[in-house]
Amino acid sequence: MIRFQGLNKWFGSALHVLKDINLDVAKGEVVVVCGPSGSGKSTLIRCVNGLEPFQEGKLVVDGTDLSAKNAALRELRMEVGFVFQQFNLYPHKTALENVTLAPIHVRGLSKAEATERGKALLAKVGLADRMNNYPSQLSGGQQQRVAIARSLCMQPKIMLFDEPTSALDPEMINEVLDVMVSLAKEGMTMMVVTHEMGFARKVAHRVVFMDQGAIVESGEPASFFGNPTHDRTRDFLSKVLHH
Amino acid sequence: MFWFQVERLLNYWPILLKGLGMTISLSLLSLLVGCVIGLLFGIIRAGRIRWLSALTGLYIDLFRGTPFLVQVFICFFILPTVGIELSAFSAGVIALSNLSACFIGEIIASGIKAVPKGQSEAALSSGLRYSQQLRLVILPQALRIVRPSLVGQFILLVKDSSVISAIGIMDLTRSGWMIVQNIPNGLLVFGVVGIGYFIICYPMIFVARRMERRQQTSIL
Ligand SMILES: Nc1ncnc2c1ncn2[C@@H]1O[C@H](COP(=O)(O)OP(=O)(O)OP(=O)(O)O)[C@@H](O)[C@H]1O
Ligand SMILES: [Mg+2]
Repeated sequence: MIRFQGLNKWFGSALHVLKDINLDVAKGEVVVVCGPSGSGKSTLIRCVNGLEPFQEGKLVVDGTDLSAKNAALRELRMEVGFVFQQFNLYPHKTALENVTLAPIHVRGLSKAEATERGKALLAKVGLADRMNNYPSQLSGGQQQRVAIARSLCMQPKIMLFDEPTSALDPEMINEVLDVMVSLAKEGMTMMVVTHEMGFARKVAHRVVFMDQGAIVESGEPASFFGNPTHDRTRDFLSKVLHH
Repeated sequence: MFWFQVERLLNYWPILLKGLGMTISLSLLSLLVGCVIGLLFGIIRAGRIRWLSALTGLYIDLFRGTPFLVQVFICFFILPTVGIELSAFSAGVIALSNLSACFIGEIIASGIKAVPKGQSEAALSSGLRYSQQLRLVILPQALRIVRPSLVGQFILLVKDSSVISAIGIMDLTRSGWMIVQNIPNGLLVFGVVGIGYFIICYPMIFVARRMERRQQTSIL
C-alpha cells in the first residue's frame, strides 16, 4: 500500500533529513514510527501524502508514484487521511461542518448525505452531543477526535497520524488513543508517529525506530520492545518507557 | 456678523448636500471596485506565482509611494493625451478605486499570510483544490483577521476622496471652496465641510471599534 524505496530528502542543500528510507506498509497494517525529536518522523510521514517533496528514490502510495512529476496528488489525498499534532480544525466552522467540508466539496456528496455520514462518525468518536460546537468550544481531546472524524469522513484507504496525542493533556490522551485502536482493529492501514508505546504494543504490527533521518531498526512489537538490537534503540526506549 | 454668515450659509445648504452626496457616491463606488480588485491583488500577492506576486507588489508600491493628487492629475490630464477621454467623475473613480485596490490588496495579503500554515495543510490534505482552500478555509479567516484594519483603511480613503475636488468634481470639499467665495469665513464653511466628512466616517469608526473589541473575544 505504501512503499518507500531508497528515498532521500534534503532541506536546502545541507540538511539531509531522510536517508535512504526503505519501508513497506501492507494493506491493513499498522506501523508505528518513533524516534527522538528532529529525527525526521514528521517529514517521513508528510512525504506519504505529498505534503513534503523529496529529491531521490521512489515512493508509491496506493498505486500512485509520488516521484513522478505529474503525480495525481489531489486524487491521492482523497484516499489518505492526515491527522496533525495541532489538530488544525477550521476555527470558523462547527465540528459537523469541519467533518463534512471535504466530502461535499471534494467527493461531491450532497449536503444531506455528508451530514448523515458526518453525524455517524462524530457519534462513533463519542461526540454526538458536540456536533454544533466550534473548535474553540472543545477540549483538546475532543478537537483531535473531530479531526480524526474529519479524515474518516472522506472514507480514506490510509490514515496517517503525526503525534496525535503530543499536544494533549495527559487525561485526554486515552480518549484519542481509544478511537485509533478501534480504527486499527477495523483493519485500517495506518502509519502513526507516536511515543505512546502502550498503543504500539497493543495494535502495531510493526514498530520503526528512526534516528538522524535514517530507519535504525524495525520489527514486530514483541521483539522490538523485548530485545532491541541497536544501542540507540535501547537508549531511546529506556527514555520513553520510563514515564 | 457671524449669525448673518450662518444665515447665508443656510442658503447654500442644497449645494453642501449635493457635495456630500457626491463624496458618498464617489467613495462608495471606488471602495466597491477597490475591494473587488484589492481581493484579487491580495490573493496574487500571497500566492505562489512568484513573478506575478512581485509584479503586483511593484504596482502596489508605485501607487502607495506617490501622492494621490499626482495620480488624479495623471488620470485626468495625461490619459486624454494618449486617447483615453474621461469625465472628471470617471477619472476620479478610477484613481480612487485604484488607490483603494492597492491598499486593500496589501491588507488582504497580510491577512492571508497570518492564517496559520496548518490550516492550508489540513485543507490540502483533504483534497481541496487551491481555489477551494482559499474560498472555504483561508479567506474567511483572513478577512476576519483584517476586518478592523480594512474598515480603518476605508475611512482614510473616504477622506482621500477630497483630493479629487482638484479636477473640478463638485464633492463636499469643492462645494466648500465655492461657498467660501461668497461667505468669507473659512473657519465656518470648512468647519461645516469637516462635519460632513465626520458624518460619513463616524459610523465606520464606530463599526471598526466594535469589530476590534469583538475580535478580542471572538471564537477564533
Ligand atoms: N520546513 C523545514 N525547513 C527546514 N528544515 C526543516 C523543516 N522541517 C523540518 N526541518 C528539520 O528537519 C529535521 C527533521 O524534522 P522533523 O520535523 O521531521 O522531525 P521529527 O522527528 O518529526 O521531530 P519532532 O519529534 O520534534 O516532531 C529537523 O532537524 C528539523 O529542524
Ligand atoms: Mg514531528
